[in-house]
Amino acid sequence: MLRKYDVLTEEQVKTIHEETMKILEEIGMEFEYEPALEVFKAEGQKVEGNRVHFTREFIEAKVKLAPSQFTLHARNPEHNLVCGGDNIIYMPGYGAPFIHDVDGNRRKTTMQDYDNIVKLAGASKNLHMTGGTVAEPQDIPDEVRHLKMLYSSIKNSDKCFMGSAEGQERAEDSIEIASILFGGKDVIKEKPVLISLINSLTPLKYDGRMLGAMMAYAKAGQAVVIASLVMAGSTGPAALAGTLALQNAEVLAGIALAQSVNPGTPVVYGSTSALSDMHSGSLSIGSPECALFISASAQLARFYGVPSRSGGGLNDSKIVDAQAGYESMMTLMAASTTGINFVLHTAGILQYFMAMSYEKFMMDDEIAGMLLHYMKGFTFDEDGMAFDVIAKVGPGGHYLTQKHTRKNHKREFRTAQLSDRTAFESWSKEKLDTNQRANRKWQEVLANYVPPALDEAIDKQLLEFIAKRS
Amino acid sequence: MSELFAELKQAVIDGDEDIVSESSQKVIDQGVNPVDAVQLGLIKGIEVIGEAWKAGEAFLPDVMMSAEAMKVGLGLLEPEIAKLGMSEGESKGKIVLGTVEGDIHDIGKNITGAMFTAAGYKVFDLGTDIKAEDFVVKAKEVGADIIGASALLTTTMIGQKQLVDYLKEHNLRDQFKVFVGGGPTSQVWADEIGADGWAETADEAVELAGRLLAK
Ligand code: B12
Repeated sequence: MLRKYDVLTEEQVKTIHEETMKILEEIGMEFEYEPALEVFKAEGQKVEGNRVHFTREFIEAKVKLAPSQFTLHARNPEHNLVCGGDNIIYMPGYGAPFIHDVDGNRRKTTMQDYDNIVKLAGASKNLHMTGGTVAEPQDIPDEVRHLKMLYSSIKNSDKCFMGSAEGQERAEDSIEIASILFGGKDVIKEKPVLISLINSLTPLKYDGRMLGAMMAYAKAGQAVVIASLVMAGSTGPAALAGTLALQNAEVLAGIALAQSVNPGTPVVYGSTSALSDMHSGSLSIGSPECALFISASAQLARFYGVPSRSGGGLNDSKIVDAQAGYESMMTLMAASTTGINFVLHTAGILQYFMAMSYEKFMMDDEIAGMLLHYMKGFTFDEDGMAFDVIAKVGPGGHYLTQKHTRKNHKREFRTAQLSDRTAFESWSKEKLDTNQRANRKWQEVLANYVPPALDEAIDKQLLEFIAKRS
Repeated sequence: MSELFAELKQAVIDGDEDIVSESSQKVIDQGVNPVDAVQLGLIKGIEVIGEAWKAGEAFLPDVMMSAEAMKVGLGLLEPEIAKLGMSEGESKGKIVLGTVEGDIHDIGKNITGAMFTAAGYKVFDLGTDIKAEDFVVKAKEVGADIIGASALLTTTMIGQKQLVDYLKEHNLRDQFKVFVGGGPTSQVWADEIGADGWAETADEAVELAGRLLAK
């Protein structure tokens, strides 16, 4: 495994921490949720209206309570995931309201898209879990979307998935559903199975929906990603270091709340900070600034001893083209090589989180596979050094007919799944570009995918619960 | 006097609220014609910035700060104009702007407001999480030409439909043009709910307003 690299010096990390404490002490944050304010009051923090001024002692002590890593359990234990340390977890994009089709046309996302993307993630060798809200199913009424999405995630794959972050009630539904699947609330309290995305309202606020969900999950012992998305220049300063401090303040305050509600709650330090384009105002995520925020977030999380989350295959392009490729590789590579543990939006995202694309999903899956291989680094065992075969072939020969080659290449080399490595004439028969190849590929994968069986009794119970709640 | 106008113009170009308010106060104290101060000072300044924006030379903070500075100046000079019983001259139009109920995304709306201000419209920004009724109350109060509603969530877009429906129910539909916008919205959606206009960017929204109000 390659060593993760740092983008900040130790000194700079300390400076960010100091600035963060200043923000939390002197400026404070707003929490639009009475139960959260009660918690902070009980912890002796200064609460005036919705504004909370924190002491550094409180924040530092609470953050220390968060585990440095935890295991997320899947219905198939082979897919259990360790979040933290040197581990990396890849998953699909989250929350996009549109699908961009292969021809560049845009349409609303549907439940069918949700099912399909879960299946593609289930089938992928490179994506470790299926994520959550992989496509916002707009053909399903808002009140029951979370139920249908959870069911699809459970039915169509046996990998880990995410819970709903849309308020206390939907979080509790998610917890109920997970309890049915895993055999009770006590079971999942011991072994977390859900992880959910709790966002701050930058700058320096949290709303009641997100806090309600966060507190419900914390009480049930389920994991939460506590994330901040600062758009430097619009919802944050046009300063990268200052934005980092602002984001850090929001995330640490969130972690402190989760630890106050239930000490030891598994939390992930989250960031999707990027910038506002100064011509259009649009969020720009396929940017070097965003890559820096990703890497610095991984490092800050290491400093605080908690796992980290950022985005993955991020880009501002509208279709699978060179821009989508080079931007996504930059951000996913930054996340992977600098130590992000939980990589939301690894696959499928186009146009700054506004769209998912099946073709982009397949391209990102390839990028993810390339990076997983890259991160393995060099193998220094006997076969890896290959002295014997070098001696055997000697000067001038070739290695293609050596046993060592035949056996070893499968370990040392990765076979491309989507990239075209053929010669010109073979390629020129159809002249397919990445977008077109990916279009064929996902249809093929989907056609061949068989969802793992789900216990019939559990399935029935799940459906009954959903019917009752609909 | 023309020096004072030049000062106002430059202060708007620089997006400097403090100087705009100082100079506007001077206009009032020295009994200078406030209509001229608006027309030959503030508006000239915003025109320069508007042109620079169109040419791709100015950035968002330039336009937005100039628009803010302009508003500060108008805030001081308009009461004076009213007091003297003068007419300010025709603005291009009035627009009431807000983000719909349940939605607090406001960056896009703020940009849209600034672009309208820079283009010479009078903008009344209600803020975020605004009910249909509140859009309409304000629009009636100021005699708006356009009501602009922003929505960034698929779950709050319905607020734009509610606005159109509210106007219909209260027989006010033909009094205001309704513009909708925000990330998940589209021309198809605007047509579906019977809005008058949709724009993908703030610039296009301003162009559209120009076309629709000219009719
Ligand atoms: C920044 C942001 C936030 C910030 C908002 C801060 C603020 N002060 O506005 C915060 C963190 C608070 C936030 C919160 C939430 N967000 Co948010 N957010 C975004 C983000 C990243 C950027 C939005 C933005 O400002 N864009 C830049 C501006 C300039 O673009 P714009 O608004 O589209 O405006 C342009 C045009 O649309 C047009 N326009 C805008 N308004 C109008 C009005 C009229 C009349 C006209 C004509 C034109 C027009 O002109 C503008 C300039 O050209 C988007 C994703 C994205 N890339 O857009 C998600 C996004 C909109 N959010 C999303 C979600 C889910 C949420 C939350 C529910 C959950 C969460 N993640 O916390 C909450 C909801 C809070 C609430 N109740 O409203 C989803 C929505 C998905 C969906 N199904 O609809 C998105 C798409 C992200 C995603 N893929 O998951 N968010």
